[in-house]
Amino acid sequence: MFTRFEEYAAASMLGAPDSPPRLDGKLLFTNRWERDVFGLALSLSKAGCFEWEDFRQSLIASIAKWEAIECANQPRWDYYERFLEALLNVVETSGVLSRREIEAIAAARSR
Amino acid sequence: MSQLFEFSGDREASSAAKVRALEALLIEKGVIATDSVDVVLKHFETMAGPFNGAKIVARAWVDPDYARRLVEDTPKAIAELSLPLGMAGAEGEHMAAVANDANVHNLIICTLCSCYPWPVLGLPPYWYKDPVFRARGVREPRAVLQEFGVQVPATKEVKVWDSSAQIRWFVVPERPANTEHLSEEELAALVTPESMMGVALVEAPAA
Repeated sequence: MFTRFEEYAAASMLGAPDSPPRLDGKLLFTNRWERDVFGLALSLSKAGCFEWEDFRQSLIASIAKWEAIECANQPRWDYYERFLEALLNVVETSGVLSRREIEAIAAARSR
Repeated sequence: MSQLFEFSGDREASSAAKVRALEALLIEKGVIATDSVDVVLKHFETMAGPFNGAKIVARAWVDPDYARRLVEDTPKAIAELSLPLGMAGAEGEHMAAVANDANVHNLIICTLCSCYPWPVLGLPPYWYKDPVFRARGVREPRAVLQEFGVQVPATKEVKVWDSSAQIRWFVVPERPANTEHLSEEELAALVTPESMMGVALVEAPAA
C-alpha cells in the first residue's frame, strides 16, 4: 500500500497510456517547464483541488484527442503538451480557475 | 538529451510561458505556495530513487559484513547508512534484499500488480507492469533474462522473487571484475536500477 501521495500518483500512471517519460528510475524532463507542470499537477491534487484520478482521465482524453488527429496534420508527439492541456482542463472543470483565467493562460506568450 | 527530430522552438517557448502564467496565477490566488512544485518533486529527485539503492549495493560490495547484514535484516542494514529521511518508512520497512553470487541469479517481478521498492529503485520501467513480462518472468525466467542480454549459465540457479505489498524485493548484483581500484562512490555510479531488478549485470567501466 502506498502511503505517500507522490508515489500513489506516479504509480497510478505506470504501465497505462498516460505513463510519464522516465529514464533509469527517474522522471525524465527535457525542459524546465515539463518539470514545473508535473509538479503543479501533483501539488494541486495534493492540496485537494481535484482527485488525481480526475486528472488522469483528463490526460488520457487529451492523449486520445491527439491520437485521433489524421497523420498529415498531427503535431509532433509531446507528452507534456498533452499533460499541460489536461491540467488546464481539469483546473477549469474543478473550478480552481475560471474559464476567463484559463483563456488568459492559454494566450500567454513567451517573454 | 539530443533531439532526434526537428522541433519548433516556438512550441516549447509557448508551453513554458503558459506553465509560468499558470503557476504565477495559482500562487497569486493562494492556491499553492511558491515552493509547492519543488516540494513534491523533491520526493522523486532527492528522497526516493535508484541513487539510494546504488549506495546500498556499493556498501555491500566493499564491506562483506554489511552485505551479510543487508540480506539478514534489510531495513536494519539500510538504516545504518545515512540515506534521506523516509527510507525506513512505510515502504522501506517492507524491503528485502537478495544477493547474486557465483551460484544464484535473482530476478524480481510482481505477478499481481506493480509493487516495487520505490525508495531504493525509483520509478519502475515501462515493461515492469506488462502482463507478458510478469507471466513469462515466472514461467521462463532464463528465456526472459536472455532477451534482456543476461546469459545465465546452466550451472547457475535462477531464483524469481515475487514482490507484494508485504515484501518488496531488490537484488544486490555481483560486483564486476577489475573494480578493486574504485572508490565506494565510483562503484555506486555503476549500479543501474535494472541490475537491482536482476534483469542486467553491472559492467565495469571501460578501461
